[in-house]
Amino acid sequence: MAEYQNIFTRIQVRGPIYAGTPLEGNAAYGRGGVPTFNHLFGRLGDAQVGPIYLGTIGLAALICGFVAFEIIGLNMWASVGWDPVQFVRQLPWLALEPPAPSYGLHFPPLAQGGWWLMAGFFLTVSIMLWWIRIYRRARALGLGTHTAWAFAAAIWLYLVLGFIRPLLMGSWAEAVPFGIFPHLDWTAAFSLRYGNLFYNPFHMLSIVFLYGSTLLFAMHAATILATSRFGAERELEQISDRGTAFERGGLFWRWTMGFCASAESIHRWAWWFAVLCPLTGGIGILLTGTVVDNWYLWGTHHGLVPSYPQTWGTVVDPATLPGAPK
Amino acid sequence: MSDHITKGILYGLGLVGVTAGALLGVTTLLSMNHPPIVSVQRGFRGTAMDQLYTPKALSDSAAIQAKIPHSLPPASAAGVKASVAYKNVHVLGNLSVGQFTRLMVSITNWVAPKQGCAYCHNVANMADDGNYTKVVARRMLQMTQNINGNWQSHVQNVGVTCYTCHGGNPVPKNIWFSNPATQATMGVAETTTGMAHPTQLINYSSLPYDPFTPFLEHDYKIRVQGENALPVSNDSSIKETEWTYSLMIHFSQSLGVNCTYCHNTRDFGNWADSSPARVNAWYGIRMVRDINNNYMDTLNGVFPGYRKGAAGDSPKVYCATCHQGVYKPLYGVSMLKGFTTELSGPPSTTAAYKEPPGLPTGAIATAYDATPLSPLSPPGTPTPSAPSIGSAPPATPK
Amino acid sequence: MAMLSFEGKYRVRGGTLVGGDLFDFWVGPFYVGFFGVTTIFFSLLGTALILYGAALGHVWNIWRINIAPPDISYGLGFAPIKDGGLWQAITICAIGAFSSWALRQVEISRKLGMGYHVPFAFSVAIFAYVALVVIRPVLMGAWGYGFPYGILSHLDWVSNTGYQYLHFHYNPAHMLAVSFFFTTTLALSLHGSLVLSAANPGPGEMMKTAEHENTFFRDIIGYSIGTLGIHRLGLFLALSAGFWSAVCIIISGPFWTAGWPAWWGWWLNLPIWK
Repeated sequence: MAEYQNIFTRIQVRGPIYAGTPLEGNAAYGRGGVPTFNHLFGRLGDAQVGPIYLGTIGLAALICGFVAFEIIGLNMWASVGWDPVQFVRQLPWLALEPPAPSYGLHFPPLAQGGWWLMAGFFLTVSIMLWWIRIYRRARALGLGTHTAWAFAAAIWLYLVLGFIRPLLMGSWAEAVPFGIFPHLDWTAAFSLRYGNLFYNPFHMLSIVFLYGSTLLFAMHAATILATSRFGAERELEQISDRGTAFERGGLFWRWTMGFCASAESIHRWAWWFAVLCPLTGGIGILLTGTVVDNWYLWGTHHGLVPSYPQTWGTVVDPATLPGAPK
Repeated sequence: MSDHITKGILYGLGLVGVTAGALLGVTTLLSMNHPPIVSVQRGFRGTAMDQLYTPKALSDSAAIQAKIPHSLPPASAAGVKASVAYKNVHVLGNLSVGQFTRLMVSITNWVAPKQGCAYCHNVANMADDGNYTKVVARRMLQMTQNINGNWQSHVQNVGVTCYTCHGGNPVPKNIWFSNPATQATMGVAETTTGMAHPTQLINYSSLPYDPFTPFLEHDYKIRVQGENALPVSNDSSIKETEWTYSLMIHFSQSLGVNCTYCHNTRDFGNWADSSPARVNAWYGIRMVRDINNNYMDTLNGVFPGYRKGAAGDSPKVYCATCHQGVYKPLYGVSMLKGFTTELSGPPSTTAAYKEPPGLPTGAIATAYDATPLSPLSPPGTPTPSAPSIGSAPPATPK
Repeated sequence: MAMLSFEGKYRVRGGTLVGGDLFDFWVGPFYVGFFGVTTIFFSLLGTALILYGAALGHVWNIWRINIAPPDISYGLGFAPIKDGGLWQAITICAIGAFSSWALRQVEISRKLGMGYHVPFAFSVAIFAYVALVVIRPVLMGAWGYGFPYGILSHLDWVSNTGYQYLHFHYNPAHMLAVSFFFTTTLALSLHGSLVLSAANPGPGEMMKTAEHENTFFRDIIGYSIGTLGIHRLGLFLALSAGFWSAVCIIISGPFWTAGWPAWWGWWLNLPIWK
């Protein structure tokens, strides 16, 4: 008979709603919402939904975010002549584009990129306020601020892409457009323009940490689930009072690859791998165009480029031939 | 929440989910291919410079070859010249009457097989230039001679005839017009940027949908990659790159090839790593600009309104006009071989010939902005002359 | 030999799949097992072949070493050693080594009384590798479609393979896979930081509990998935990234030869609009 693998909870136990560990001196908005139990959620994780702490900063963040969302969405809708059918049909392709290069870093007219700038501004404010929220909620519960600092790495990448690098390049036009396919076009164009980003060493590092994070989460999560019969998911208890769960989990990896982490240190591996992905990625983006214009050529100067035997004869740039048309 | 209601919701969601998933799966599967595929390796092994085709796409393309009309047997060059026998002959005067007539019949086969001579001629007076089609055809004869004579760097000795573009149709199936929507205002909302609306021409991507006006009519620079590792001389923007990318996607679609046909994509700009086809394409771009500016645009005063684009511009050519989805037009079959006297270049005219009026003043608007990114030259150096059309007042929408 | 303080009581016999007690021992901290032996064999042989390939190409710069698959013209047959056969041999060694590793993980799991989640997860990664070098080439009719073994050369292959479809970002399975990669990284940063923030609450504070962890997430987003749930979610996200990556490359070529943006035509041309 097949063994239970602990992927979905078979029997859900209901206790009373847990209102949360006490907060000192509730702010005016404080915790709100009526908590409920959701059976579907309970099959995978915790069943309780709510309460939520809204708070002034949280509210401000949501409002700014909503403003940005509306600016983007309404401009997209306008771009199809306010046709609701075409809006749904073309939505993945629609965009709110940054200004044209001719505007440099000036404030462009609303219709020539000003809306993009405004949406970007409100989105950035929203994200910054959200960061403050993450920080303060942790402090209010007496927790460390690790989440806020991890979020800061992601914000670093976001700011590099949308603000810092365009500033250094002297043009808002270099920033990323809003839009599902358009931002992918930007990504492809970025690599095309700067000589193949695969040769950017910080891009390589960022991918190492991206794949590495995926590898690590698979390893860690699988180990926990494999030892969940011993209570491995109670990681804080295993940190302060190691039990057979993490002893077995640790030994699994020691016997597999010669070394292992501990209940706490695996989360440090996790934190650093995840944080280094946007951190190095942001550096790679920042160096592109400012310090290096063509990463492939940079690679040829630094001994990176593999050579392949020629398939054709010598191909010469026709523009360099005498008497070539323009 | 009651258990029954929850179960009901769950079952309902499941039903909807499964149905939607099934529909999505079927639609996806129906729109896709299956093995076997045909491929051509064009680079060193392991570099993945391969062309991929489904057998069906290949047989569809092969049908193009099957449709090529047979050429009439060649006529003798002896006898009375056409300029003597007929009135108002400006381009083909040096042909014999036999050659002239043969060419006329051939053109009818190639361009207007169903419509016949009357498509161009006033059959009561064959010399009359009353039909615009006759004036256009005359210019196009010069154009054909120009292509075959001056652009062998692109067409080699395969050459072109009217059939290459027209394919038996009075209006070729693949022509383009400038898209006036590229600068339309939308009230207070963002002016259209020339991209972010999918069109089959650009493979249904959200890249700029009219890269043809800046690159195949105007001569904005297509190259965006620098030749230095350091930022010393290249001032192209990411936006310019998107326009170039869009043009390149058109190239791929028009020839039924992918990017690796011309490029080793690890280093797009490098000519030493590229295939010879890229050189051919470079000449092709210049040839297309020549055709559009010196032939199609000069006919603007001749075409009636219903043959022009929404911006009042002439029909223009791009790669797809001749290539029609195949890497060599007509798979490299040379119809010119039977018409070298008549259609090889360079173009000929009599002294009495007057070129058609041409393009009305005022450039067609394009959202392409060629402003250099940042001043790389020291202060005081004259700035490049590329106009920043993006900062011009937007064209009023039609 | 070097054992952790608590390790002794876990070093028992048993759990092996093949070979009984013959290879049931440790070398230092490493468990051997039958599949440890096969792992060593395939790894050493494969590494030696890679070094041989480097020597053939006279390239010792680690970034530039390239061992290329055969020409497409060899189809699904064996190619001469210096014309892609080496690549084929190394691929066989790789699959042998990876599978051995996974099976060794099974034996270790059995010995420790654990579930098989780790080798299962690793198998998804092996599937992705096999999809790239076996499944897709077989569907396309030639081993030459596999990726070359070389740090930068395999990236050149990725670039060219991507541009075969004009704009690979539009591949829907690729979009899914990339989303799963980024979401996995996000979730990992959240999980790592949450546990660390409770275990390291700052100067003067008592270590916190799972109730604090739950409360933090309920406060910020209204929901906390819980200590067990986050691991289920993390495993799902990570394995989905690998799975959809394999799907995205299998469909590119065997099941689609045009540009990937054009695939979206089915949506744009639905009869209900345009």
